[in-house]
Amino acid sequence: MASCERADAYPHWPVVLPVPEGVRGMDEELLSDTFVELTDTMVVGFDVIDFLHVLTDRSVQLLDVSAAGLLLADPRGELRVVAASSEAARLLELFQIQNDQGPCLDCFRSGQPVTAADLAVAAPRWPQFAPAARQAGFAAVQALPMRLREQVIGALNLFRASPGAFAPADIRVGQALADVATISLLHERSMRHSDTLNEQLQAALNSRVIIEQAKGKLAERLGVDMDQAFNLLRDRARTSNRRLSDLAQALVGGIETFTGPAASRSWQQFPGDGQPRQQPGK
Amino acid sequence: MTGSRPARIWGLVAGQAASRGGRVSAGDACAAAVAAVEVSGAWLIAARSAEAGHLMRVTDEVSELLAELQLTLGEGPGPDAAASGGPVLASDLGEVGAVRRWPVFSPAARQAGAAAIFAFPLQVGAIRAGVMGLYRERPGSLSAFQLGDALVFADTATLLLLDAQDQTAGDAAAGAGPGGQPPDLALHRAEIDQATGMLTEQLDVGIEEAFIRLRAYAYAHDQGLSDLARDIVARRLRLSPDRDPRQDGQL
Repeated sequence: MASCERADAYPHWPVVLPVPEGVRGMDEELLSDTFVELTDTMVVGFDVIDFLHVLTDRSVQLLDVSAAGLLLADPRGELRVVAASSEAARLLELFQIQNDQGPCLDCFRSGQPVTAADLAVAAPRWPQFAPAARQAGFAAVQALPMRLREQVIGALNLFRASPGAFAPADIRVGQALADVATISLLHERSMRHSDTLNEQLQAALNSRVIIEQAKGKLAERLGVDMDQAFNLLRDRARTSNRRLSDLAQALVGGIETFTGPAASRSWQQFPGDGQPRQQPGK
Repeated sequence: MTGSRPARIWGLVAGQAASRGGRVSAGDACAAAVAAVEVSGAWLIAARSAEAGHLMRVTDEVSELLAELQLTLGEGPGPDAAASGGPVLASDLGEVGAVRRWPVFSPAARQAGAAAIFAFPLQVGAIRAGVMGLYRERPGSLSAFQLGDALVFADTATLLLLDAQDQTAGDAAAGAGPGGQPPDLALHRAEIDQATGMLTEQLDVGIEEAFIRLRAYAYAHDQGLSDLARDIVARRLRLSPDRDPRQDGQL
């Protein structure tokens, strides 16, 4: 239907949920579930970061991409990495911000999709980003704006390990997911008090910092890399049915011990007595 | 609006310190925010992790009253901001939502002369340094630009508070980086957060102390915070708990 085309027709893009139909090879059940997930912001305890992680994770599950990362503008005027499906993707998003260069930044600034089907020949365009992305194991990238009319709130980056053009269906669905998430976030902002989203976003960004701090602590303790530390944290949060940020806070605060059957495997790798150290000066 | 927002705001904070003839402190960030963000007054509460905190700076009597009320009651935008890790933007204390949220504080604050309160946690992840509060005599939201500025004032105050806790740094830190430049406000770098977490283990200290030590090491070795953090994350560098990193490289 025409609604499938809308995501590509930016200047006239209306607030229509462009649910693509019958995309070849795509898990349609997961696709429709994802659209529901991305519109369901009215739940109690809604968490912006969890919500945006759904967007990046489902992008990887649904589309022919290896990883996804998401940048959102914060009130300071800075772009912030708010979600990524893998540590590699997160680092690459950060790399773009720190070097002020890359497809996600171009996409955010222009409000238009940016594509690079082969990063091996993209060095003239992004002299720093292209080699960094290839080193991280990515060969192609597609950046999609999170945009409602003139308002660009962020960008979704899709990374693929193999070079070649992204399937038009993947781009359409990816843009549709980004559009729905954008509408949900802006709707959230208009439905509640206008300040609430900013409050939530800043709190969420601070939670993200706590997660990074917890990753560092766990990585040092277990002698694992940051990606492994993040996976351990995420698995632990899932099995204990806790928020990742709550778990991270408990770990950094020296409260979380990571004991119990689910974690015993990882704790066996701990040096010394395997007990978390007490934080002094609490 | 070109140029760096942190640098512009550091200029305002340094100007505030100069006008009172003192070294740049977190209180200056609080005081400078009043004019820049167009509020009626401001207060700054310093608080480490579990402490209730103590009042460090107020710009007027109303601010003092508002801060004392929140410290006493444990209720209000300030305590909520500290708990959530995000700002609490109460643009109209007379609103039913605000009254329901802070049944004792809201009427008391209005009686004191505040119609809107914006509270900013002075935090970097799990690192807690306090809360900065701003109030207006009339209700109304901060504009997006004012909110952006207020957040950077809060970032600046956070670093100044943490540097003030760094007993051994002496004059070296004083909030400023080498050459009196603005402090490295690159707070939003995952490597810095990760390196800070790693240092809690390497040095066997809490997260605040780890962050202070990281910044002190960067300063003592005239190294960018991001570069240093990257070395630590890449495990090219370990800090030792036995040796004070500020002893070397520091005159």
